[in-house]
Amino acid sequence: MNPFRVALAVARKDLRSEWRTREMVPALAQFVVLALLIGNFGFQIDSRNALTIAPGILWMALVFAGLVAFGRTFAAEREQASLDAMLMTPASPVAIFAGKALAASVLLVACEAVLLPALTLFFGTPLSGEVVAAVLLATVGMAALGVMFAAIVARVRARELLLPLLTLPLWIPFIVAGGQAVQSAMGLPGSYQEAIGLLIDFDILFVVLTSLAARFVLDE
Amino acid sequence: MSILVGNALTQWFGRELALEGVDLVIDTGEHIAVLGDNGAGKTTLLRILATALRPTSGQLQIAGLDAFRERRRLRHYLGYVAHSPGLYPALSAAENLEFFCDLQEVSRTRAEEALELVGLTSVARRRADQLSRGMQQRLAIARAILHEPRLLILDEPDASLGDDAAELLTQVMSGKTVVLATHDHALANRLCPRTLVLRHGRSLGTATRLHVVK
Amino acid sequence: MNRAERWAAAAVALMLVAGAVIFLYAPTDALQGPVQRIFYLHVSAAIAAYGCFAVVLLGGIVYLRNESLVADRCARAGALVGVVLTTVTLVMGMLWAKPIWGTFWTWDARLTSTLVLWIIYAGYLLVRRLAEPGRQAARIGAVVGIFGFVDVPVVHFSVTWWRTQHPGPIIVNDALPAQMLATFLLTVACTLILAAVMVWMRYRIETLMDEKQHIAEPVKVVTAREPEPVP
Repeated sequence: MNPFRVALAVARKDLRSEWRTREMVPALAQFVVLALLIGNFGFQIDSRNALTIAPGILWMALVFAGLVAFGRTFAAEREQASLDAMLMTPASPVAIFAGKALAASVLLVACEAVLLPALTLFFGTPLSGEVVAAVLLATVGMAALGVMFAAIVARVRARELLLPLLTLPLWIPFIVAGGQAVQSAMGLPGSYQEAIGLLIDFDILFVVLTSLAARFVLDE
Repeated sequence: MSILVGNALTQWFGRELALEGVDLVIDTGEHIAVLGDNGAGKTTLLRILATALRPTSGQLQIAGLDAFRERRRLRHYLGYVAHSPGLYPALSAAENLEFFCDLQEVSRTRAEEALELVGLTSVARRRADQLSRGMQQRLAIARAILHEPRLLILDEPDASLGDDAAELLTQVMSGKTVVLATHDHALANRLCPRTLVLRHGRSLGTATRLHVVK
Repeated sequence: MNRAERWAAAAVALMLVAGAVIFLYAPTDALQGPVQRIFYLHVSAAIAAYGCFAVVLLGGIVYLRNESLVADRCARAGALVGVVLTTVTLVMGMLWAKPIWGTFWTWDARLTSTLVLWIIYAGYLLVRRLAEPGRQAARIGAVVGIFGFVDVPVVHFSVTWWRTQHPGPIIVNDALPAQMLATFLLTVACTLILAAVMVWMRYRIETLMDEKQHIAEPVKVVTAREPEPVP
């Protein structure tokens, strides 16, 4: 079967399961709102400093929501022994991997749809198309890496401990470029164009690399 | 003619020896049972035969192909029911099968046929986590035969099937080469002319219609 | 004394020679004073660490291609020695930074990416310890090692692009007098030899540990007859 259709079938299956159980998205949404609340207490945010601090809180919340979202994708598969069943079919492991990544990023986008308006509401930062574009572009690469390492740690003891240790260092480039893009989109100095260009480069680099590695991670 | 030749299959899990030098030859169309206590290595052996696990050492040929280097070419050939059903709890019985029809590249009508064969047509729209344990097991069997594999590997499928396990399995197994793990000696004798006995990861040899001495 | 012990003794002796040259031969820096002598070992350890991580990268690639156990053991040994050398680099760098920059740490590109390097390969060692020993751990390690190696220049680049205040490489600069350059090159050579000997010793340990856990090269299968086509 066409790998694109396999990926779509896998993503549709995951999203349908999520829609029926509604486990992840409400929890993630609540989680990011809590992150904003804690950020507020940690930083003493007021109208003068909100613009400089809000982008940092945005990425903190997103990174930790991402870790939870991606960590769950393969943990559930393994527990059900269903990943084995999927890998017994002729479907290519790369397509299965892409489907899982697609579904996980849709979940993360759903949680961003809560995070960004909440940020505007609580901290008065502008919510523009530029901010949304930067966050979405970062989500692509973070999803590719996050799902790959989730697949890796799913086979290892202490997976909750290891996932952040392995994933966060690889997310740093996205946070650097994404952070800069969001800051400049919110009116702080810096080149938005350049940051977005960098985000796209990183997306391409890591999507290609993870697709190459997926075969070795998933196959027995 | 032999369809499956396993040679000195050995599996270490860390420092634990789960399977030690098991040799196995299975002829086309043969039904063979694998008997043994819990922890005797049945599941490990079946996972290896299903190419879901690569042994630490030893060779396995299925249909004349190296089962691990040519694993992808064997996928159409193999059906595997694992020890745990591995269903998607939030999807209905039919959706579970339709998803695997897509991955197996077979028409979705096979899902209906398979549901009928295992007697689940009436609960096709029910969510998998609302099915009884026995029904889930049937669904897992249905999923393994969607693509009509020639070689079927069944890991204790009778564990929760109930009274009509033998009839259902007879139907599913007909026309296929089957490896069936179980600890039900009577069922093994009834369904399989030949039995392989495992103890502590070692093969005690095979016997026909044997009466196993405990 | 067996061969390994002779090599180890030689490597230690060479490092002592390097130490003597650093303190007795190399001139004292006019601006920074004696603390500048940290430079020799600091940069040498960093170069040797990169060498070790290159071994992890190559070992990973070779392992994924042909499941060579030798390659995987090299990668494991390289990762461990590399993490030790990176720790040395970081600690020495901080000791040097305090008197010169007035702070132990600054978030510039080189420091940040070295810290990321350390975290990634410390993570590599953790994964290797927690994964089921054997093929699975080796594959996972190979993937982590390859991604880690790719990530470091990317992190470095992105942080440079962001902001930087670390001095660039000054080796080819005329500013480094000949005596300092000679000392530096000697220290680099000695450190590389030490690193190579350490990787080799660790390789031997990994071999023994594999034997204990019954991890062996995969048996190459010789197909006796032509495979029948799968219907």
